[in-house]
Order: sequence, then structure tokens, then C-alpha cells
Amino acid sequence: MAATFFGEVVKAPCRAGTEDEEEEEEGRRETPEDREVRQQLARKREVRLLRRQTKTSLEVSLLEKYPCSKFIIAIGNNAVAFLSSFVMNSGVWEEAGCAKLWNEWCRTADTTHLSSTEAFCGFYHLKSNPSVFGSCPRKNMQITILTCRHVTDYKTLESTGSLPSPFLKALKTQNFKDPACCPLLEQPNIVHDLPAAVLSYCQVWKIPAILYLCYTDVMKLDLITVEAFKPILSTRSLKGLVKNIPQSTEILKKLMTTNEIQSNIYT
Amino acid sequence: MASRYDRAITVFSPDGHLFQVEYAQEAVKKGSTAVGIRGTNIVVLGVEKKSVAKLQDERTVRKICALDDHVCMAFAVLTIFIGLTADARVVINRARVECQSHKLTVEDPVTVEYITRFIATLKQKYTQSNGRRPFGISALIVGFDDDGIPRLYQTDPSGTYHAWKANAIGRSAKTVREFLEKNYTEDAIASDNEAIKLAIKALLEVVQSGGKNIELAIIRRNQPLKMFSAKEVELYVTEIEREKEEAEKKKSKKSV
Repeated sequence: MAATFFGEVVKAPCRAGTEDEEEEEEGRRETPEDREVRQQLARKREVRLLRRQTKTSLEVSLLEKYPCSKFIIAIGNNAVAFLSSFVMNSGVWEEAGCAKLWNEWCRTADTTHLSSTEAFCGFYHLKSNPSVFGSCPRKNMQITILTCRHVTDYKTLESTGSLPSPFLKALKTQNFKDPACCPLLEQPNIVHDLPAAVLSYCQVWKIPAILYLCYTDVMKLDLITVEAFKPILSTRSLKGLVKNIPQSTEILKKLMTTNEIQSNIYT
Repeated sequence: MASRYDRAITVFSPDGHLFQVEYAQEAVKKGSTAVGIRGTNIVVLGVEKKSVAKLQDERTVRKICALDDHVCMAFAVLTIFIGLTADARVVINRARVECQSHKLTVEDPVTVEYITRFIATLKQKYTQSNGRRPFGISALIVGFDDDGIPRLYQTDPSGTYHAWKANAIGRSAKTVREFLEKNYTEDAIASDNEAIKLAIKALLEVVQSGGKNIELAIIRRNQPLKMFSAKEVELYVTEIEREKEEAEKKKSKKSV
């Protein structure tokens, strides 16, 4: 790649094609040392599922241990804030386990002593109503995924300045028969990363699932973005799980103040 | 397509976008929310104050600045810049120098429109030079002119400026602007207090922790500018909440 004086980025064609091929062949020859290092790295990067408090690992798949009929996943800080203040505030939720993993992006080098605050994913189940995690695994299971994305990723003919952000869009699998509480995501927009993986898995295994994607222009924890998820509370998936909305709003405000990051770059 | 034409400010895309300018407008959305209201005899500027770090000297974190202060005639031009703090400081300095230079040259204080046009022209120059990036700031500029008419102007990173009756910039500006469109009526700005309450109500739509995070300043005709202390803002907030409760009680009585 090369940049020109006027700032466009132009791909420079490589005329040393044959040289590159020779270098690749040399790299393929692996010593036993390389193999050892690679195996150690693979062991370090394994995802571990741990039972709560006892920290022993869950050999059995989590869904078989706690079969459930409604599985709600929140990805991203705004979606997690919505879930923890509105849904998990009503009723008693118990931590069922957590998932910990390590890869080269993590800042700690030590994998054995990761504290519970560094878990990447916490699993919770409703203590008072075990039937939410009911007795028919996978047959009646419905999955709801909540996530956020920046509004500039939303492809539309209108300019992003005129969009009523934050706004909600939905995407559902073929087996999900209930109506969504907001318009469906139009083409050519696509879903990325973990929500896309979960939705694809559900589509392939014919599990009814729905993804609620909130397009917002504030990616950090923000009251208005979290409140944009409120229409979901009236859907069948989350009905009955939320009782006290004013209290939830108070909890949300507290969460905001504790998590406020002070930055002097933007006034 | 965007990635090939957005690395330099001096490159138009085939469909006519200057992407760097549009990205600069995104930088403005990362700042706090500010609202400006032009009443009949008053102009109000309000901004959300982000919480200050513990060891930071709060006095040095002021967002509303005076561009020119005409002590003898009690006129002033107030402004608030939202976006990149450092860019705001640079532009404010230039604007202040221009105000004084104008006064010395023509022996008259600047009009609000003149200084707004100066700031907007400065911003536009930076969208047309090679090697420079646009200023990532939008501004709300308020004041009274010699003729006693209140003015409110808004500028954005592209260098455009327009006069407004009421406007908001920064984070969630659209929500606040929609609120203002619904609630900016002749009654709402009939008195000075009502205009101040409208500004605070608009900010409370998006400010997360209530009155203690709002900075407010007003200029009344023929009076020097006034910056509100936290207590004074709290007084207005309490009054607004009281009025809201009374309105809700009336509603529930009517429905019963």
C-alpha cells in the first residue's frame, strides 16, 4: 500500500512475486521448538467454563446442566447495563457460572489467577422461577440477543445526521414466529462478530432467536442508548421478567455515575 | 468507497462528500450537550458539565466563555464550543483577539453576526488547506447587538453558520432539538424565567444526573452577563420538578 501526495491510498503492485514465494516455503519448515510453543499457546487460549464460587470447571455443557427455555445474551456495555438494571433487578438472579479466556490481547500474562471480575462472560439464572430455565432443553428454547453498534455503520440513503438515533432494529431466525417490537434490519446492513455467530448458529440448528440491534452515536455507557432498549420489555420474550421500571431507572442512573470515565479531550 | 477518499481534507469523493468534514461533525457528537435559547429580552446558554476528576481544579473547567465584554455598555458576547477541547481553546483565542482588534480599528464593539462570520470563515479555511484538518468543534454564540435585539448563532466544522431561535449541539443534540421544537412557543419565552426554565428542561432530557451537572449563563438586555452558581440552577430544577408533579396530579384528577 502506498499513499499519494493528495492523500488517496493506492495499492502498489508488487513486481517481486517470485521472491515472496521462496520466503513462504522457508517459513513452513517447523522445528520441534516451534511446535512446543504453539501447543503451549493453544492451551493458554482455551476457553474455560467455571462453576460459580467453587471455581471448578463445568465439564458438562452449561445448557444441559441448567436447561432453559429463555436465553438472553447482552453484548456491549449499553446492552449489559439495560439487562442488569431492568431485567436482573426484578427477581433474584443467581450466578450460575462464568467463562474465562485468555489471548494475546489480554494485558495479564498469568492465566491461572484471573479474578472473577475479569471473567469475560457471566451466566445467571432466575432463582425464583426455574421454569424460565425450564425443563425442555432446546425444544422450547428461545434466544434473545441485545447489542449496540455505532450509527455510522448503518448504511442508508439518508445522511446520518438526520437519523433519529438511537434506534432499534431487529433480525430474527426463520423459526422465530413472534413479531419483533421494532422494524427489521434492512439490506445492505449486516451484523458483525459475536451476535452474528450466535444468530447463525441458531438459524442452522433451527432455534428461534431474535437479535435486537441498537444503533447509537454514543458507544460508551449512556442513559439514552440504554433506554432505547425499553420497547423490548413489552415483547413475549421479556414479559413477566420485569416488574419495577422506576426502580430500574434509578439503578441505571447509579450505574452511570459509577462508570463515568473522565476525559478532557472532548469538551 | 469512503475509505479511498477520506484520508485527506482536500479530496472530494465522487458523490461530492468531504468525508473529513463529516467525520469532524462526529467528533462534535462526542462532546457534552449544549443548548442555546433566544428569548424576547434574554439569551440563555446551558451546557452539561461532565464530572471533574478529584484532583482537578474545578475552576479551570469552564465551558461557557465570554468572547467580548463591553463593561461600559453592558453588552457581551457569550459562546460555548463543543467538540475537541484544544481546538475550542485555539478558536476562542483567535476570536477574542479579533474582537479587540475590531474595537480598536473601528471604535465599535463587534456585532454577534460579525464575530460568528469570522469564526465560520476561519473554520472554512481549514477545510480547504492541504496538510491541515478541520476544527472538530461546533459553537453556539449568543449576545445582544447595539440595537438591543438578542441573537443566537450556531457554527459547525464545515464553516457554515446560521441564526437560530433555539438550538442544541453535542451528544444527543437531536433529542434536545426535538424537545425544543415541541416546546419553544411564544408562552415559553414570554418571560425571562420561562426561557431559563426551558433551557434547563431541555438539558434535563439528556443530562444524566440532574441539576448539579448543568452550567448556565444568561444575558439580559442592558445588563452584564450572569453565570449561575450550582445552587441557583438547583433552585430552578426544584421548581421545574414541582411544576411537573402538579401537572401530573392535574392529569390524574382529570382522568379520574
